[in-house]
Amino acid sequence: MTTKTIEKNSLIGRRIPKMDAPDKASGKTRYIGDLNVSGQLYGKILRSGRIHARIVRIDTSKAKALPGVHAVITAADVPDQRPIGVNKDHMPLKGDKVRSQRDEIAAVAADSEEIAEEALKLIEVEYEDLPTIFDPRDALKPGAPLINDFKKDNVAMVFDYSHGDVAQGEAESDVVIEDSFELHYVTHCCMGVSGVIAEFDASGNLLLYSNTQVPFLHKREFAELLNIDPGRIRIIQPPIGGGFGSKLDIYPFEPIAIFLARATKRPVKLMFTREEEFLASPTRQPVILTLRSGVRKDGSLTFRTVDTLHDNGAYTSWGATTPFVMMQTFSSLYRVEHCLYKTTAVYTNNPYAGSFRGYGNLQATFAIEQHMDKLAEAIGMDPLEFRLKNAQEAGEVTGQGMHFKTCGFKDCITTAAERSDYQAKRRAYKAAQGAPGSVKRGVGIASMLHVGGGAKIYPSDGCGTILKLDDFAHVTVMTGASEIGQGSETVLAQLVCEELGVPLGSVTVVNNDTDITPWDVGVHASRTTFIAGNSAIGAARKARDKILNAAAKVSNLAAGDLDLRDGFIVRASDGQVIMPLAKMLRSLHFSDKAELVMTTHYYEPPSVHQDKGFKGDVSAAYAWATQVVEVEVDTDTGIVTLLKVWAAHDVGRVLNRLGIEGQIEGGIVMGQGYAITETLMIENGVCKNPNFRDYKLVTAPEIPEMDITFIETMDGEGPQGAKGVGEAPAICMAAAVANAIENATGTRIYKLPFTPENVYRALHPALAEAAE
Amino acid sequence: MSAIQRYLAPTTLEEALDALRESEATILAGGTDVMPQSQAGRLRLQPTLLNIRRIDELGGIALDGASIRIGALATISELLESELINERLPILAEAADHFASPQIRNAGTVGGNVCNASPAGDTLVPLIVLNAEVELASKRDGKVERRRMPLESFFAGPGRTHRAADELLTAIYVPAPAEGFVAHFAKFGTRPALDISAVSVGIGGVWRNGTFKNARVAFGAVAPTPVRGRATEGVLEGSALDAAAIGMAAAAARDEVRPISDVRASAWYRKEMIHSLTKKVLTNVADA
Amino acid sequence: MSLTREIAFTLNGSLRNVTVPVTMTALAMLRDVLRLTGTKYGCGEGECGACTIIVDGRSVNACLMFAVDCDGRTVTTIEGVAADEASEPLRQAMVDNGAVQCGFCTPGMVMQSTWLLEQNPHASRDEIKRGLEGNLCRCTGYKKLIDAVAAVSGTNQ
Repeated sequence: MTTKTIEKNSLIGRRIPKMDAPDKASGKTRYIGDLNVSGQLYGKILRSGRIHARIVRIDTSKAKALPGVHAVITAADVPDQRPIGVNKDHMPLKGDKVRSQRDEIAAVAADSEEIAEEALKLIEVEYEDLPTIFDPRDALKPGAPLINDFKKDNVAMVFDYSHGDVAQGEAESDVVIEDSFELHYVTHCCMGVSGVIAEFDASGNLLLYSNTQVPFLHKREFAELLNIDPGRIRIIQPPIGGGFGSKLDIYPFEPIAIFLARATKRPVKLMFTREEEFLASPTRQPVILTLRSGVRKDGSLTFRTVDTLHDNGAYTSWGATTPFVMMQTFSSLYRVEHCLYKTTAVYTNNPYAGSFRGYGNLQATFAIEQHMDKLAEAIGMDPLEFRLKNAQEAGEVTGQGMHFKTCGFKDCITTAAERSDYQAKRRAYKAAQGAPGSVKRGVGIASMLHVGGGAKIYPSDGCGTILKLDDFAHVTVMTGASEIGQGSETVLAQLVCEELGVPLGSVTVVNNDTDITPWDVGVHASRTTFIAGNSAIGAARKARDKILNAAAKVSNLAAGDLDLRDGFIVRASDGQVIMPLAKMLRSLHFSDKAELVMTTHYYEPPSVHQDKGFKGDVSAAYAWATQVVEVEVDTDTGIVTLLKVWAAHDVGRVLNRLGIEGQIEGGIVMGQGYAITETLMIENGVCKNPNFRDYKLVTAPEIPEMDITFIETMDGEGPQGAKGVGEAPAICMAAAVANAIENATGTRIYKLPFTPENVYRALHPALAEAAE
Repeated sequence: MSAIQRYLAPTTLEEALDALRESEATILAGGTDVMPQSQAGRLRLQPTLLNIRRIDELGGIALDGASIRIGALATISELLESELINERLPILAEAADHFASPQIRNAGTVGGNVCNASPAGDTLVPLIVLNAEVELASKRDGKVERRRMPLESFFAGPGRTHRAADELLTAIYVPAPAEGFVAHFAKFGTRPALDISAVSVGIGGVWRNGTFKNARVAFGAVAPTPVRGRATEGVLEGSALDAAAIGMAAAAARDEVRPISDVRASAWYRKEMIHSLTKKVLTNVADA
Repeated sequence: MSLTREIAFTLNGSLRNVTVPVTMTALAMLRDVLRLTGTKYGCGEGECGACTIIVDGRSVNACLMFAVDCDGRTVTTIEGVAADEASEPLRQAMVDNGAVQCGFCTPGMVMQSTWLLEQNPHASRDEIKRGLEGNLCRCTGYKKLIDAVAAVSGTNQ
């Protein structure tokens, strides 16, 4: 008899295609817009025709009379509605007044979208205009009109942070510089537009097909909103056409669809048009930022003072809270002894900002990394050496209390710089600034720090997993973590395969139904691989132990001497097959003991809540990255062309090489859009470009060449050593491009975006002034 | 809701002209302008929706005596693929290459681009440089009549032309360029295509023995219609296209255009870019 | 009600008869009338390419096409391509090269790439980039999409 042996075969670090990709590439995947529920009605929302106005009268009688219309609702029809959002300052349907272009004032449910749209046109609204605020600086002026009457001023939120004593830091400085930066509006532009289907059963239980990234938090919020038991709400998440943070909050269209379903006792499907998606989904937080930095002649940083003004728009969503992340970059990306940070978020009549990949870090990094170049220049130090001198290292605990157990920051800097030949190019391009010809080249560098092991913002930052094996060794992993295209389904399956020694095809991940899956805080903060990954590993290890203990009894070997490989129980030392895993499972199941292998695990990361001063080790791990960009600037047109990006990322460990490359490449191009091509133009509260003609996403011919290096620091807490990486790649780009433009032209631009006209204006200030 | 009373998809020109004679009609070919404009409410559909795409005689790109005839239904992709266009009217192929996206080039027609009369229409500037004429057909006294007019006088304003309601644009005629004729087109933008031009410039003329003659200059997106750059032409006429002459022509171009400010660019920047593109196009012409 | 018209055309290899409002888009006909939801609505203005289909051998935006104009023509959607073994290498290349993330743009990308490769079986990377310029993707940064098409055209370096 020949004995079969199996070698250990790990999937970790390999290029694993996404499990959902075959269906997606065949058009078989059903997104929210592709779902239809029998008996459904179609919902549409009437938005404000004014920017800031009192609603004097709404008459819906003509709309109600239109054949095919089943309900027309206004705020008066939902007296029980409650405010939503971070500050609970946002009524889904506005009854008293409107405060921005997007404001929802009525909604219709009808037999078809066409009829619903027709009905909207029949709703008569009379307004009385109110004075407006469009510049956040005006919102703080005495006598400014109040946007939200329940407040006594227009301040939506304030953040104050400090460590050390900046006055002392300033006194110790040889050079102090101060600059103001202005960051613009951009928006997520998920390729799939927003939508929801709401349905009540005969007992009053709510079923919601939703695109949310945070189903369990939403379940609770919807329950509060509807004043019903959260246990009566089930959220099913169909595959979503892009997230990037946009689906982290409740927006009025979801409660409105629920109200319509309640009013009609029918399922209601409500889908945005692309124009609506631009007008009524959140933006990235626009910021006006003043940064004051000091340095000693020896190149050590002394202090930083940051004062930022956030345009909060009319209502408060997550954009207002981006200072949580921004202050981390100011306090802890580089070692700085003294740091003072202040943000004021003010109400205006502009659109409101939500969370968006990077969560304030793009804005903070834009300012800080430009100052790093300027400070180095001021003391005559090489910008690379200057950064290395101040860069954090493993083991440090920063002034804000972040503890860097692993830290590949210096490796990131030197790797990106060496691979790009940054220093030689920077010197050559600087020397060529005055050479003839309109096309200049430049290189720029920027680095970032971001949470990579979750972020303890809510009372729990955990994730639950339920795992079961069937009689044929097929594994089902029920996880609280949602798949939003980022590939979590595949990574979780890989991690489970690693523990249970089964092929990838033997794993099914269930991740989209709150009635089935255990709690998770949501897809945000680059946390899913880390938190949900550890949770899945925990559940899989419990199953493994159970199986190996049972196998030990029948094989007369110790459980520790056994291993699971390729669907078999083997002897760990030489891989000799003992029995098929499925056979072991069946014998457990059908033996006298009658046992199924089912396990659960809840993983809570060893991070802490920040105190009232925003101090504390908020994440279980931290991710680092450096990106060097090379650009061409045509001084005759202001066109900036991104040629190449060298990215070095401390990712802890590569789990799925194909997936992580995709995250980094996609993030780089999203960062390129933020820096160079995209801008949501808001003029007097009105969006001027709610379409892809004039809101310019990067297209295929515009992408740079990309050189990506992974720095593997094997984080002790990370799943198989990995850290979160979802947001990191978008963060450095704008700062690096700003530095590259300066290297190419000698002109530093403090305001985004670097669209041709803005750059041309900056390069030719005299021409621009003469024209004004 | 739609007030459309009938939909017609004739296969002959006569049938189409009869339909135009009978009632107000919206003419449909590729649909790439009519569909989004009508969906957004910017274009009101007339009682008759007249789909002319099945009229074979409105298609094709071919030599016609001393002219090149571009059928109204020729798509932008067909322009790009046509050997005749690439050899004889390369400036038109250049513009077609910057036109929208492959999918829109596959559906959109030259006749549609002309009749849509956008000041930023990508084929219009090169066609004006090429001294193109439009052919309009009607059926007024029981027989088909055709008239021609220069393309540059065809436009009445944004989205408006001098086509009468009962006329159909059947073809564009481009006189075969003279010996030594060189022309180039440039569109301002950061992408190769999929961009509505903020400005565009086309310049052509006979470039022989170091002298530039019969200069024709046209600008897109700087006025309610595409326009001739007559002052710039004046500066260029007989010039040697040296650096000084190119600089003077570019300055003349900047001075003569009267653009507006909108989401795509400010008036000031448009003038600056007319200057920059004129330089670029003239450099390309001089290099020929 | 708006005026309707009965049309007949070849859809993914079979003859289909369908009655549609004359102002309806081909996209709405495919999705809402024929219930073929693989063709996606991304913008409705021909700017994103998510609704790319192939009509008479050329790729077009279904959202810009009048449904009635399908009459007598040959229309192929992602459902047709997905059922066609000849397109398997392209779909597999999309999967293997990591070209799919949220996947919403993918059917349009597959359709446009199918047409592109029909036109130009050995398309270079630059030709592929230009060929995909009318298809927006927010997730991937395009590189892996280009890799996937280049894997089929044999021009990956």
